[in-house]
Amino acid sequence: MLNLLRLTRSGLFGICALVCLTAGGIASRADASPAAEAFIQTNIQRGLQLLNNTGVSRQQRAEQFRNFLLGLTDLRRIALYTLGPARRTAAQAQQDAFVEAFRDYAFAVYGAEFAKYSGQTLRVTGSVERAPGDELVRTQLIDPDSKGQEPIEVDFRVYGTNGHYSIVDIVVAGLDLAITEQEDFSAFLAQHNNDIRALTANLRQRAERVRSTGRI
Amino acid sequence: MRGIRTAACAALTLLLAGCANVEDPSGANDPYESFNRKVFDFNRHVDKAVIKPVAEVYRDGVPEPAREGLHNFFVNIDLPITFANDVLQGEAERGSETFLRFSINSTLGVGGLFDVATRNFHMPFHTEDFGQTLAVWGVQEGPYLVLPIVGPDPPRDAGGQVVDIAFDPLTYINFHGAFWFSAGKAVLEGIDLRSRNLESLDSIERQSIDLYASIRSLYRQNRNNEIRNGKPDVSNLPNL
Repeated sequence: MLNLLRLTRSGLFGICALVCLTAGGIASRADASPAAEAFIQTNIQRGLQLLNNTGVSRQQRAEQFRNFLLGLTDLRRIALYTLGPARRTAAQAQQDAFVEAFRDYAFAVYGAEFAKYSGQTLRVTGSVERAPGDELVRTQLIDPDSKGQEPIEVDFRVYGTNGHYSIVDIVVAGLDLAITEQEDFSAFLAQHNNDIRALTANLRQRAERVRSTGRI
Repeated sequence: MRGIRTAACAALTLLLAGCANVEDPSGANDPYESFNRKVFDFNRHVDKAVIKPVAEVYRDGVPEPAREGLHNFFVNIDLPITFANDVLQGEAERGSETFLRFSINSTLGVGGLFDVATRNFHMPFHTEDFGQTLAVWGVQEGPYLVLPIVGPDPPRDAGGQVVDIAFDPLTYINFHGAFWFSAGKAVLEGIDLRSRNLESLDSIERQSIDLYASIRSLYRQNRNNEIRNGKPDVSNLPNL
């Protein structure tokens, strides 16, 4: 494990604190996609308000933030991507059941993770266009406890045009969430005859366990 | 410690170089997957039984300033390796940063104990190794490989570690107890590294269905990110 452990402090899923930034943080250079950056910037600000709302309990704050973030995310697209090649041989009903289980699992896990939020902020630093309607918005996660260490790069993959955008992937310090999930699920499927029902059942069980124990 | 590691790495690299056309049913360039999984499970047992508990005791029992100081010392003493590889990759600016960091932390930082370069001068920090240099020169990673205790270490990276021994000034300094110093350094570096990743590895473990596959994926992505020096690889993003 020694080589792998040169990972980020917070790990792939530890991006608990998606909060926004101070005004004037957007780069002044010619932006690849000002609209996509503004989408992330504005929603990060809204997210901050939810995470810092002391009128409700910590758990409620986490849940409201989670609902908000996942509402911006195209979970169906991500879920179907994570199935990999197995998707081609799966019936539509099985795919739909899987997407539901994936959504359920994401809600359970991120509700638990965001409850650990402790004052981090996100700063938009720019964007890169991969293709029309396909942008990578670059941000930095600034941790007040980081002791001067460099902030972690958090990139949001954003699809959309004309003011309607959704998040389709997140890359934390070079670690791509969709790719990692897809490789994890592909290995499971390879050991279960590519039967996505087994994967669906596994995700449902995990979601249930998180909900009942409060821990992932 | 160094001699044994050198021999092991060299032997494995040679062995794998001779096994070019092995079948790879998973398509993940992991033709030795069943062997790797066994070693991975062994590593997990050793981690659970020994390494993780020791790292936890270290984290909970040793005061943070002492742990920080030790960490800074190790990072600093390994900077010559980063410098050599910055130069080999033709990265003049990064090489200068490394050189400056080493100079500042070794002097103002009292032998590397204090990371003055980061805290006071806010200098960027990076590491390089010969495995990354080989990648920059166009060498492919090779089939995925998990080594006992060390963990994921494909041939290019393992071979790179052998060469880095030659870039480490400590290799050439003979002093009384040099072997035990190297051995102790390796062990302490391992414990330090483990203690700094207790939460993140727990999180990955809890959220993975197939931990072996997740770690394989994360290892490679992390490595490629290091090789690109943190720049995003926009053309290789997944087609969602």
